[in-house]
Amino acid sequence: MENEKITDDGAQAEIGKNTAGADSVNNDIINLPDNTLSQKPEARKPLFIVFRYLFIIICSILVTLSLILFILYAVPVLKEFSPRRKTEITNNQELKKDLLYKKQISVLTKDVQRLSLKFNAYTSGQSYIVINTIENRFSLYTNKKLIREGFCSSGSYTMLQTAGNKKWIFKTPKGKYWIHGKTTNPVWKRPDWSFVEEGSPIPPKDDFSRYEYGVLGDYALALGDGYMIHGTIYKRFLGMPVTHGCVRLNDEDLKVIFNTLNIGSKVYIF
Amino acid sequence: METEITNKRPHRKITFIVLISIISVFIIYYSIMSIISPVRKLEEIKNEFGAKAAEKNEVDQKILMDSTYLKLLKEKAFLQSRIVMAETDSIYLTLNLSDSTANIEISGVVVHKAKMKSLKTSKILLAGNENAILSMLATPFTISHAFATIKKEPVMIKMAPKDTSEYKPDIMPDTSITEPVNYILEMNGGIRIYVYQEENVKFNARISHISFDLKDRLRDTWSALKSVAVLKVPEYHPFIKIRLPRTDAKIIYRAIPKNGQIAVFS
Repeated sequence: MENEKITDDGAQAEIGKNTAGADSVNNDIINLPDNTLSQKPEARKPLFIVFRYLFIIICSILVTLSLILFILYAVPVLKEFSPRRKTEITNNQELKKDLLYKKQISVLTKDVQRLSLKFNAYTSGQSYIVINTIENRFSLYTNKKLIREGFCSSGSYTMLQTAGNKKWIFKTPKGKYWIHGKTTNPVWKRPDWSFVEEGSPIPPKDDFSRYEYGVLGDYALALGDGYMIHGTIYKRFLGMPVTHGCVRLNDEDLKVIFNTLNIGSKVYIF
Repeated sequence: METEITNKRPHRKITFIVLISIISVFIIYYSIMSIISPVRKLEEIKNEFGAKAAEKNEVDQKILMDSTYLKLLKEKAFLQSRIVMAETDSIYLTLNLSDSTANIEISGVVVHKAKMKSLKTSKILLAGNENAILSMLATPFTISHAFATIKKEPVMIKMAPKDTSEYKPDIMPDTSITEPVNYILEMNGGIRIYVYQEENVKFNARISHISFDLKDRLRDTWSALKSVAVLKVPEYHPFIKIRLPRTDAKIIYRAIPKNGQIAVFS
């Protein structure tokens, strides 16, 4: 029994020690045939090899991972610590008394003032409207002051495609525009895409079926290229991108905008 | 069996040592080259813009380091940039790093204001005291590449119905979709603007941020490794990393044209 324990531990040294200090009774048990002692470690060898290789593989993976992380994360940080000469900023009172310094500061101040004036002149003191097509909101300004803001609807970014590969993209153009014309009780002359969208046949250019009354609200302000700021019968869609490119407003906002903006007033769309 | 093992082991050991040495040397070499790259970039900027600055301002070296003079010079550079962009009818972005604002402007009119929630800048750009850097900032940057988690134009394709029976009226668009907004605007001169959405509360937003950042690092490292492999100093990209509210980040990305312009006030 004791011997079994020894062999289970598998330590050759311990076996030796036991053998040396054993009495005659134990000797019988210890003097087992050679193959009993050598067989068990032999059987364990493949397992040991597997563990060793597993250990090597895990270590290699960890080392590789550390290297990758070092390259990806540590090197960019090190870059920011790269040595370079730093310019010292001074606030020397002696220098401020220097004539050349005074001259330079005066020239620079004049430059800044001139540029500021030039830049401020870009913002018109007249009325203008800003349309945010991402949030579908508008802001109306007069004398550089915000006088009204609210929801609108802009282009849906839908691309209408026919089987014949004809395409229309419904988006509100971005940039600087101006009011080309103002209309009360506008009539909508339906373009081709309006019929294509419904699956209806396209009528001739000036066919009566192209004219629709009341769908654009009470007022319309033309931006050029067929785009307009107008009213809508789909008020529940205000604040959403649902139009074919025009900007839709509710009746109250439209009235204020119509009365505030003149032909030539700027429209900023982003 | 035993002799075979003892014969193989030294070979393995040598191979292992050689491999480790090669990798270590390469890593050290790569790190050194990478650390050198910002210095090289600053030299490039000085060569390109420093001369111009010296020609323009024949001023004493001491004046160039004076705080009042530098403040005015920065202001002038920013105004010059904005005026150049205002002359066009295009939409452009202005980044004011000193008051942490990002504005969209059209022809000199500020149409949208956004407050940065956090800001991190390359030390090169922070050393904006350098006359060359100020001179570089006096001209607007142009976007050359953009990498983003959202589309610039979210176009949906709709097939036209064959007849009126197939026609379906427009349904209300789904505005509940809140895809994470992270993007990088790479500009001429190699400067990069990283814009991350502020809100990363949701798990998918965090994952998106990590994966977006990792992709960028991999792209950068791959390009650096290619340069280092041919014994060249990798290109350094001075950066401005900002965090904005998600809506502002989205507005800026969608509003600015593909090759839009940006002015930076350091």
